[in-house]
Amino acid sequence: MANVTKKYPGESRWKGWWYLLPALLVYLLFTFLPILETIRSSFYQWDGFSQNKVWIGLGNYVELFSDPKFHNALRNNLIFVIFYSIIPILIGLFLASMLSRRPIPGFAFFRTALFLPQVISMVVVGVIWRWMFNPTFGPINSLLRQIGLDVFAISWLGDFTWALPAVGSIGTWVQYGFCMVLFLAGMQHIQDEYYEAASLDGANTFKQFIHITVPGLRSEIAVALVTTIIAALRVFDLVYTTTKGGPGETTMVTGFLIYRAAFTNNRIGYAAAIATVLTLIILVISLFIRRYQQQGSEESA
Amino acid sequence: MKKRTIFLSISLALMILLSACAKPASPTDQAPVAGTEEEVLLVWDQFYRDEESKVIETLNAEFEAAHPGVRIQREVKVLDDLRTTVKLALTKADGPDVAQVNQGRNDMGALVEAGLLLPLNSYLDQYNWGTVFSTSVASRNSFTEDGKTFGTGNLYGVSPTAEVVGVFYNKDTFKKNGWDVPTTFEDFEALLAEIKAAGITPISFGSLDGWNAIHEFSAIQHLLVSLDYINNLTYGVNNVSFDTPENRQAAQILLDWANAGYFSDGFPGIGYDDSNNLFKAGNGAMTITGSWLAPELMVDTDQEFGFFLLPPYEGQTGLAIGGVGIPFAIRKTSEKQELAAEYLNWMISPRAAELWAEAGMLPAMALPEDSKLETKNLFGDTLNAWNTINQANAVGHYIDWATPTFYDTLVAELQKLLGGISTPANFTEAVEADYAAYLQSQSE
Repeated sequence: MANVTKKYPGESRWKGWWYLLPALLVYLLFTFLPILETIRSSFYQWDGFSQNKVWIGLGNYVELFSDPKFHNALRNNLIFVIFYSIIPILIGLFLASMLSRRPIPGFAFFRTALFLPQVISMVVVGVIWRWMFNPTFGPINSLLRQIGLDVFAISWLGDFTWALPAVGSIGTWVQYGFCMVLFLAGMQHIQDEYYEAASLDGANTFKQFIHITVPGLRSEIAVALVTTIIAALRVFDLVYTTTKGGPGETTMVTGFLIYRAAFTNNRIGYAAAIATVLTLIILVISLFIRRYQQQGSEESA
Repeated sequence: MKKRTIFLSISLALMILLSACAKPASPTDQAPVAGTEEEVLLVWDQFYRDEESKVIETLNAEFEAAHPGVRIQREVKVLDDLRTTVKLALTKADGPDVAQVNQGRNDMGALVEAGLLLPLNSYLDQYNWGTVFSTSVASRNSFTEDGKTFGTGNLYGVSPTAEVVGVFYNKDTFKKNGWDVPTTFEDFEALLAEIKAAGITPISFGSLDGWNAIHEFSAIQHLLVSLDYINNLTYGVNNVSFDTPENRQAAQILLDWANAGYFSDGFPGIGYDDSNNLFKAGNGAMTITGSWLAPELMVDTDQEFGFFLLPPYEGQTGLAIGGVGIPFAIRKTSEKQELAAEYLNWMISPRAAELWAEAGMLPAMALPEDSKLETKNLFGDTLNAWNTINQANAVGHYIDWATPTFYDTLVAELQKLLGGISTPANFTEAVEADYAAYLQSQSE
């Protein structure tokens, strides 16, 4: 019997750490330490290369919270959440429920095709859509003109009203396939019996969707929310390749402000302060979503 | 956010790795003759496009041939990459001996302030650079020793190439319609109306990328203001204001052009390169941009193009936006300063001028007397324009150098102006707010 207890996996706790070590080292060196360094830098006035590094305490934060450019950028980020997160999740739910309940021919093809935007580099996505939106030779306006909707053939990315929704909708295009695949996977765990019982009780498709599918996908929706909201808050590449924050400041986002402060205006401290605030916002939102997810699993238990 | 920091630390780590790798010169090249050790000059430049790169390669090879025992280790980067990495690299003991450093306060100014660049005044005398470039050109690469005042003080760089902003026009379209190159601004505006009436886009232009809108505005502005004003504004001296009748008038003219439909249809949604490609393909009679576009317009097209300066008002003279390209500078802590200075001198030699001209780029230096270069083409037009404004002392400035945030402010405010969100008066007031705040911060 003594032999058996010796082989018990719980015994040698140290061993596990050795397997973790390589990944942990990389994480420490390239993620954790830079985060600490970023937070530290945010208390300094520093150009990023000279010896002249001055401690200014919360100075950068005070300036940040009274900076109308930061308010505007943050507001745009929140609007991006609608396009990056809310709309893709709704579309994803709709498509997934369409595809999962009744098998259609070519299902695997559609699944892959709709997921494709997710694996393309955002820079490429930006360049392609900038061309799609081009008012002179872009396909979107050509199509609008062909079907007689000339009034809608505007210069999308340069329009003060439409630039933000236009860039946002690119985000929708990128994210909804990911949401759909996630929900499709989740739906496989929902037992058919629920649906059968519900339809015997007279629940229509919509009611089944609201009362069976959505609660059953609670964890998947939480995962989708966290990843897409983070993507919306840290968006940079898409804005950089399409509008550079213009026209005016209508598509300016916090990620772009950080880039500008750090790399064109030599204000590492200020850039670090924006980055720190943004990280905190993301952290708080993620914790909230996690709580929602956990509450759900307690309820269903 | 996090991504940025990671990027920063990775590039830092890479830089450390790279400089560690760079240290030992390859053993095969080393010490061909006993007792003479090979000297390696580390140079960072941003001439990455094919034809530019060839010019540098040729000059480097000729420099090595003329200096036995010297090897040039070249690192080429695109401008954005160079700008973000060169500052840290210049703080290091084994950083580049020679590097191209962008002009203006955020780059050269910040580096001078940090004490990282070598003042070149003694070499200016030693090599007689005063005969190679004018004082107006030298001031663009000059700062006071504290890095605060732009345009005076020490010389910190020498520029091999030159740029002038003017009007490219489609010669075929002009010929077909019987249009002539206008010689006054009044004629130019009349021509715009005529071209528009003929159903052709007068000026191919797109403001999606923002920066070229500064050139459209400022090219007009340069016809209305004096050289003193544009110098004061750019160098931040003598307390001038941006909110002036001349600047407002320039903004009004630009807005009138937009409202009259003189720019490409849907121009707010068109990028700089796209607008140039449309122009190159024969859409649009003219485009207002810098001479750097000339090499591109001379190849892969069946159209023929010419270049002229935006003409001044009847009976007046005008300035033109122009300047010299990104200069070569020397790291203050380099141990090979003499050799580095010799390299700088090499980069602005008559031979360099000839090579740049052959590549279709304007050299900042005069061409050799006996040059047999073809100048009856688009390149010749740009060279002519550059010589004209140089001789007339009418070389203006890129006004976005004026404050560290001027570029961003100008781009945003010009887009608002052209988008009908603000008026010319709003525009000059908003830009002046940025300018005044900067002057204020400088005097504190």
